[in-house]
Amino acid sequence: MLINPIKWGKLTIILVNSETMMSAHDQNHQTNNDNSDENTTHFGFQTVEKNEKESKVASVFHSVAQQYDVMNDLMSFGIHRLWKRFTIDASGVRPGNKVLDLAGGTGDLTAKFSQLVGREGKVILADINSSMLNVGRDKLRDRGLVQNIEYVQANAQYLPFEDNTFDVITIAFGLRNVTDKDMALRSMYRVLKPGGRLLVLEFSKPEHELVNKAYDFYSFNILPKMGELVAKDGDSYQYLAESIRMHPDQETLKAMMDTAGFEQTSFKNLTGGVVALHKGYKF
Amino acid sequence: MFAQALSAVIETLINQFLKYNLSGTQALKPLSEKTLTVKLAELPFALSFSVSDEKIHVTTNDEHSDCCIITSIKTLVELKKEQQLTDLIKNDKLDIQGDLKVAQHFANIAETLDIDWQSELAKRIGDIPTYKLGKIGAKLLKKLNFATTQIQADASEWLVHEKRLLVTAAEIVSFSLDVERAEQKASALSQRIDELINQQTKLS
Repeated sequence: MLINPIKWGKLTIILVNSETMMSAHDQNHQTNNDNSDENTTHFGFQTVEKNEKESKVASVFHSVAQQYDVMNDLMSFGIHRLWKRFTIDASGVRPGNKVLDLAGGTGDLTAKFSQLVGREGKVILADINSSMLNVGRDKLRDRGLVQNIEYVQANAQYLPFEDNTFDVITIAFGLRNVTDKDMALRSMYRVLKPGGRLLVLEFSKPEHELVNKAYDFYSFNILPKMGELVAKDGDSYQYLAESIRMHPDQETLKAMMDTAGFEQTSFKNLTGGVVALHKGYKF
Repeated sequence: MFAQALSAVIETLINQFLKYNLSGTQALKPLSEKTLTVKLAELPFALSFSVSDEKIHVTTNDEHSDCCIITSIKTLVELKKEQQLTDLIKNDKLDIQGDLKVAQHFANIAETLDIDWQSELAKRIGDIPTYKLGKIGAKLLKKLNFATTQIQADASEWLVHEKRLLVTAAEIVSFSLDVERAEQKASALSQRIDELINQQTKLS
């Protein structure tokens, strides 16, 4: 695979040769529990060509990047901060650790990790979307967090890092947007150090049917309208709701992590299963 | 999630206090990248306090710490009296693992916090409103103290004299004296009985 890093200040843009990327992509076997064939995948409720999903997801996040934090607070009533705090607590991160905050977007986790790993540690904020990465970089710089953070534009399926690099990898509300989740999990496993852990924070399936129904109503009726009002983009938030429903449930994602090679995998439901934190180790 | 909510609130409060501390955040320097974990009997999770970038971060992760204190809130209050430290450890009310200096540094920071609340308030709402608020606050505090004392006095009078649910101190003293006298009489009687039994045994 050809990887061409371009340094732009502290932002490193990794350009992956598209042909090589596609070739590697085609070799991968789709093992998600959806019914899509090898060349198609889901974009919300739509079935699209695999090579289309990336650009479609990209356009969603280019569109919502500026309002992302405001919308997160509005949509989750601020609870996303506690979900992220829970992830940080579960990471066991300590001074000197090297952390990869994958699909890190506007840098909520990176900000905290940066302070916890100290001067000897390092946090890489990686996101496939340049708009999200720019918003994150500006936000963190405004908060004076510069010394141990690096920014990398990268695809989770083809992580541009050496094997056994990170002590902790987190991917918060990002995995469901990845075209080939199995491939991304294998890529994360590769760059994780032995003894390191992966934390996947993602929307999941509510445990109780009543909560599920209320959640459906909220997601499909209220959420897109909020998106329309605040971010002037109802379609992107419609996709958000749909992509949550298409994401593997707790047990399926755990099985996918097992298949990717992670050990001692477990998950913890948060807010009745609206969100779940999956944890897995590499030994 | 309660653990995360609580740790977030504690973290915000601590860092706000540190921000307003007159001696600044200098005291945090020796604790840079150090972690103190506190495990309280009343809480089902640990609270870890890590210092970094002149801030204290509170997490519920206890996987690694430089010093770990295992105790209860009640014992923490007692800890203010330094001489009790050894007694508390001996009585298994307090367990300290790791570098004790880290715990001492954290305790020093708490003790040396010096915040000029009036100046801080004046920066936000102005001098005159702060002065007025200060006066109202002092008046309220005085009234509150008076009310507390009055309520205590009234309540004890009502319980002791009106409802007769409690006894007075004089009654307790009198009762104790009566018990003491009865005890002495019983003891004398017991002694007399013993003597009579001995005499009876000798005669027979």
